Amino acid sequence: MINTMNKKMGIILAVISAIYLYFSFMLPEYPYVPVDSDAVPIVLGFILLFLSVLLYFSKSEESEEEKLPKGEGKVILAVLGFVLMFILLLEPLGFVLTTFLFISINSRFLGYKKWVSNIIVSLALPLSIYFLFVSFLKIQLPSGILPF
Amino acid sequence: MSIFEGILTGFQVALSLKGLSFVFIGVVTGTIIGMIPGLGPITAIAVMIPITYGMDPALALLLMAGVYYGSAYGGAASSILLNAPGESMAVPTTFDGYPLAKQGKAGKALAIAALASFTGGTISVILLTLFAPFLAKVAISFGPAEYFALMLMGLMTVASFSSGSTIKALISATVGFIIATIGIDSQTGTARFTFGNINLMEGIDFLVIALGLFALAEVTSLIRERKERSMFDSEFGSMKLSKAEVKELSVPVTRQSLLGFIIGVLPGAGGTIASFLGYITEKKLSKKPEEFGKGSIVGLAAPESANNSASSGAFVPLLSLGIPGSGTTAVMLGALIVLGVQPGPLMISDHPDIFWGVIASMYIGNVILLILNLPLIPYISKLLKVPKPMLISLVIMFCIIGVYGISFRTFDLFLLVIFGIIGYFMARMNFPAAPMLLAFILGGMMERSLRQALTISDGSLLIFVQKPISATLLAIAFLSFIVPLLKTWRKRKSDGNAEETDSQAS
Repeated sequence: MINTMNKKMGIILAVISAIYLYFSFMLPEYPYVPVDSDAVPIVLGFILLFLSVLLYFSKSEESEEEKLPKGEGKVILAVLGFVLMFILLLEPLGFVLTTFLFISINSRFLGYKKWVSNIIVSLALPLSIYFLFVSFLKIQLPSGILPF
Repeated sequence: MSIFEGILTGFQVALSLKGLSFVFIGVVTGTIIGMIPGLGPITAIAVMIPITYGMDPALALLLMAGVYYGSAYGGAASSILLNAPGESMAVPTTFDGYPLAKQGKAGKALAIAALASFTGGTISVILLTLFAPFLAKVAISFGPAEYFALMLMGLMTVASFSSGSTIKALISATVGFIIATIGIDSQTGTARFTFGNINLMEGIDFLVIALGLFALAEVTSLIRERKERSMFDSEFGSMKLSKAEVKELSVPVTRQSLLGFIIGVLPGAGGTIASFLGYITEKKLSKKPEEFGKGSIVGLAAPESANNSASSGAFVPLLSLGIPGSGTTAVMLGALIVLGVQPGPLMISDHPDIFWGVIASMYIGNVILLILNLPLIPYISKLLKVPKPMLISLVIMFCIIGVYGISFRTFDLFLLVIFGIIGYFMARMNFPAAPMLLAFILGGMMERSLRQALTISDGSLLIFVQKPISATLLAIAFLSFIVPLLKTWRKRKSDGNAEETDSQAS
């Protein structure tokens, strides 16, 4: 029976360690060293396999994981989507514009209703960070489609 | 260079106007980050790393020391004001700190916390100054076998001391080590587990893992709490302490500072154990144990001085051996390496200026925290009123800047998100994240020393038990792994018997 969290995780981890072991054994040989690059990964793979078996048979000490309140999973997924968009647009659109869009949209989505202060913060902050990084710290952030 | 000379040169840099202002900036930034519920020193240091990139290392060290102390204090402040500890070591601070704040004595509680941290930090830095060079001398004779044994012991003790199931902690550590094997193998040049992806050739940057597992994963719990208005509205009250109060505190604070240091030096133990132990021992020793939990000033001061002292004590193995003993010092090691500082036994003899620079920075960070940061706390805590939705967006943005500012690759940002997701599930299933981060950082070093040792011995594993130091360390590592497992096994056995009798009875 795969009823408890420990059993589920035990199986998942055992599968992961099996895959890891498979790729460890596939590593090319390099004959001129006493300990080749596959030695440590193979040992680690077996340790993880052993631990996942232990986990499978160990009794859950804690109660089953708390359920997320209704709709919260969707909110977290939506934020995840925003973050992925942020990353994808960062280089094409540039740091200032992307960050402005992300902060304003994400904050509004999570329930920040004051549009004016939202716009001010999400404009002022990326601009000041951008100039701090580019002028003072000499770290180039993507400028994107903006001219500076 | 004598100890005295070393300290003087260290302080020369730290006490310049530039030096002081960098410490100050660090302390304030650290306090702000530490105050955000769920974010602690690990996140604060990790976020600041790209900023120190390309800075004068001496000044960057000062900044980092400030961030380190500031974020620990920020955590204490949010424990006192909001009853929301940023990380486990600040939990005992809430026991008496929050009741004091509710009684309208928030100002006093914050002052006591700052004073206790300051004393703990001071005593600890003095002991560190005396102890680290001595340990470094011993460590110079260490070969790869001893280093491997030492790191294994550190990792094992961290795993067995972390809260919750030991098996889960060990799994975390093993997975961290496995992640460390990704990339080009330094000895053979074999590309391991990169699947032809150029971005994985150099391995995964530790910042990606630190910010993903700690900061980004924490964002999800901030999202769940976004509607709660957890701001502090009652009066701050005076920050002054009476003479009688200072007298009452002096003995427990000194005692806990010494004890905290010893716990901090031991790998694996660290701040959390020090602060809980500090709280419990002072409650036992107190003449008024009934006041504990209701706003006792000793109950607030004891864990604060203990954990601050332990945090500095953890710098002993970091600076003298080059081995971090906790998640926080692991990130600190990463920060030092970015600055071109490689801690280890040779640092004290070869680069005394850097070693003493670190020590002086820590000390000045501690002083600035008390005299400049404390008066600003009422204003800094106004930032707690930043609405949660905005706060969430900002934390995510800082994580992204942190990673992008050091790697300049969007690929690493996707990795960051993946580790954020892993961290989220780990937190929900009670897998501790600190052993994974530590194992990831130690992993590369451990593999290197293991293979060096085996090269010396021509492949014979006996090298680890023939040397007395490594044999002892390995024995401790083995025991710290096997004892908790035996305990759970025995508990399981007795539970199992109980169940059997239950079913027979029904």
